[in-house]
Amino acid sequence: MARPRKVFFRRRKVCKFCADKIDYIDYKDVKLLQQFIPERSKILPRRISGTCARHQRFLQQAIKRARHLALIPFTTD
Amino acid sequence: MRTYELIFVVDPRVSDEDVVTMTQEYKAMITAGGSTITSEENWGRRKLAYPIEKLGEGKYVLLNISSEGGATRLPEVEHRMRQNDKILRYLTVRTDEDLKRAARRKQAAPAASSTPAGSEAARDGDTEGAEPGEEI
Repeated sequence: MARPRKVFFRRRKVCKFCADKIDYIDYKDVKLLQQFIPERSKILPRRISGTCARHQRFLQQAIKRARHLALIPFTTD
Repeated sequence: MRTYELIFVVDPRVSDEDVVTMTQEYKAMITAGGSTITSEENWGRRKLAYPIEKLGEGKYVLLNISSEGGATRLPEVEHRMRQNDKILRYLTVRTDEDLKRAARRKQAAPAASSTPAGSEAARDGDTEGAEPGEEI
């Protein structure tokens, strides 16, 4: 309906953990961590997920702990 | 006061009773070192995300440990776990600092949530502060 002008919206990404007020990311919470490990089981980068630096750091730590305990995979082949 | 989480994965071929006795042994070691077991969780059989020693499953046991500073026997316990072939994985995490930090943030932005009262009291000796919602 708009004029042919380049107007494209970029959805503002909000850190999930800030929004949900999660301050301790538990490595045992597989359900939560799974949201941040896509198909190839890599850690979803901040630039995609919008997680803030602080929480990404905690998340990274939690994912690595969970991997060690075989709660989540290192990789899918 | 320090709190730890000790989680370990046992070979699924070990019977449940043996897992319990094994856990008892480790618990005895920990308590002998002057720490207390605050809670214990047995997750039972769980699928592993990837095979460990060609095994697809493992039995998970989680121990929550609290210690009044000073030396714990945890390094010793870890050493024993390393030597035990039946233990596929173990992980010890010190949790009090992270939980305290989380509680502090919660207090800054009052939200209805469960703050670990024990660690909160240990930080500033103020038990009233544990429930920010009460004062408003």
